[in-house]
Amino acid sequence: MIETIKLRKDFKEKTVVEDVDLYLDKGESVGLLGPNGAGKSTTISMISSLLKPTSGDVKLNGESVVKHPSELRKVLGVVPQEIALYQELTAYENLKFFGRIYRVPKDKLETRIQTTLKLVGLKDRQKDRIKTFSGGMKRRINIASALLHHPKVLILDEPTVGIDPQSRNYILEMIRQLNEQSGTTILYTSHYMEEVEQLCDRVYIMDHGKVIASGSQSELLSILSNEDTMRVQLNQMSHSLVKAIQEIDVIRQVEETGDGIKIIAKKSTNLISNLVKLADQQNIKILNFQMENPSLEDVFLHLTGRTLRD
Amino acid sequence: MIPVFLAQLTKECRNPLLLIIFIAASIGATIIFTDGTQSPTTVSIFSEEENARSIEEKWEPLLNEDSDMRFVITDSEEAREDVQQGRADLAIKLLEDDYRLVTTSNLPTVAYVDQHVRKVFEKEATIQSAIEQSEDAEGLRADIETKLEDPPMEMEVDSITGDELPNYDMGTQLMFAFTLLVAMFIIGFRINNILKDKVYGLWDRMILSPVSKTGMYTAYIAYAFFIGVVQTLSVILTFKYVLNYDIGDRLDLLIIIIAFFTFSMVSVATLLTGLVKKPEQFYAIYPSVIPIIPLISGAYMMPGTISNPVLTFIADLFPVSHAMDAILNVVMYDGTLHDITHSLLFMTLIGVVAMGIGVNLVERRKN
Repeated sequence: MIETIKLRKDFKEKTVVEDVDLYLDKGESVGLLGPNGAGKSTTISMISSLLKPTSGDVKLNGESVVKHPSELRKVLGVVPQEIALYQELTAYENLKFFGRIYRVPKDKLETRIQTTLKLVGLKDRQKDRIKTFSGGMKRRINIASALLHHPKVLILDEPTVGIDPQSRNYILEMIRQLNEQSGTTILYTSHYMEEVEQLCDRVYIMDHGKVIASGSQSELLSILSNEDTMRVQLNQMSHSLVKAIQEIDVIRQVEETGDGIKIIAKKSTNLISNLVKLADQQNIKILNFQMENPSLEDVFLHLTGRTLRD
Repeated sequence: MIPVFLAQLTKECRNPLLLIIFIAASIGATIIFTDGTQSPTTVSIFSEEENARSIEEKWEPLLNEDSDMRFVITDSEEAREDVQQGRADLAIKLLEDDYRLVTTSNLPTVAYVDQHVRKVFEKEATIQSAIEQSEDAEGLRADIETKLEDPPMEMEVDSITGDELPNYDMGTQLMFAFTLLVAMFIIGFRINNILKDKVYGLWDRMILSPVSKTGMYTAYIAYAFFIGVVQTLSVILTFKYVLNYDIGDRLDLLIIIIAFFTFSMVSVATLLTGLVKKPEQFYAIYPSVIPIIPLISGAYMMPGTISNPVLTFIADLFPVSHAMDAILNVVMYDGTLHDITHSLLFMTLIGVVAMGIGVNLVERRKN
């Protein structure tokens, strides 16, 4: 349905997005995962025709969006990262405004507004001004504003930033429903890997403006199939122990956690005995070992050497 | 376009305080400043020359002659302190054949007093130069003064149409000057909504909708124009019908001038919007620049006071000087549409050029 071909964006001397190829099939839910500054927002700005790429193209059903943006705009709903609403107006007035600029027929507008308000769970607050809403409620209306014209493709740019877990779950469930029940194609960007894990069929991982990995969750996790992830709880932290562990051949990554370390290492029979030996040498007690299933976060760590929130 | 315009209007209705404050401010400022120029004032005079006493006694009766102001001889320190503490707008320091104004402000009152004092000193200088070579100085002085009171020849000044020249009313001029100044602020703040909506992401959302870019700009510009005209007309109608100010009978021409001025000012505000990146920068720069424009345009002073060619050139680049010319033409000299065409054309030219450059800059900022 939508694909990008060698998408690139330069700002003066700096390349922010470099040769990004991605595609979205109809009805698919795709995640774009990456830390802040990875180039996700610039990429979706180009996909949604807000920003002209330096080179490359975006195609909707084979037609260039760069040359003919209006075709995409008809079927597109975009939820920006910021709360793009009139704070002085009520939720109802904001939705009416967006419904009118999207030319929703007058006879359908009222029904659409009420249905959308019900979907985001704010029907009883429709007459309240946006500035009186909590962060989570504002985010929900921000999403609702992009749904009134029934878009076939919905692009969401970090729609859960800065809100409480309850609101976040509500929003994620709402997006899942849109994808499953209405068949809306979703492109969801986030730096919260658990959101992408929960929502998306396929994931693109971006870093420094490039797609560094892509595929279904299982495909991405298989990158770590030859590796173990283990969490080691220590009675005290020691940088020299971390340094010593890093020098073991099979070790790929060592990350300090609050009460110990997290290790990604090649599958090895004598890893645990080596760890115990090193800890003994430095008079540090190992309180607990825990083997973990790898997550997308671990995949990202493996690929970049950094965590998503670095 | 219409939904964007209506959204701006709904926002204004939700929070009308700024508009109300601005309307009240222009009415209040006019009343305060024009009252100052109209009411009789007591002015302290003093001299610090060696023969201070004789200088003060010479000028005190001359200054008080034919004046509704009272010039009172005061101790120099006391007079200076009154000015410093704000108890008096000004005092006059007398020299032998000259004077200095002691003031801390640039109020219309100061210009008003200065005008009277200068007239007295010029008259005295003329008499002095005439009697200098006369043997009967006192007799000649008496003769001149008698002739000045009852001149053998009189020059009558009529308007081109033969009618009597109308009295120039500084109060009315100030009323329009303050009204236009405040209108410039409200127009700028409303045009700044473009930048605000860009920063908050609303602009991008509108771009993705079927509303065209032209429609978006038209909506914001039309709204700023609408609110500018509403504000200006509210003030002018209040003065005409509530406070009974004489603003002439050609309200239709005044509305035309206001419409041209507002369009032109909307364009200038758009140009300034294109020069900044954030609405906060606009809020910092715009209020610093705007009050200077009526000042260098001479909007608060008698016509012709500003004669510096650089200042008049700068003033001509902004619509306020042309609007004031046209308004004074209509209100005080019964000007017709033909008489104000020149000013209207200038405002249109400024409006078209500034709008073209402004929209272009706003678009470039986007990329």
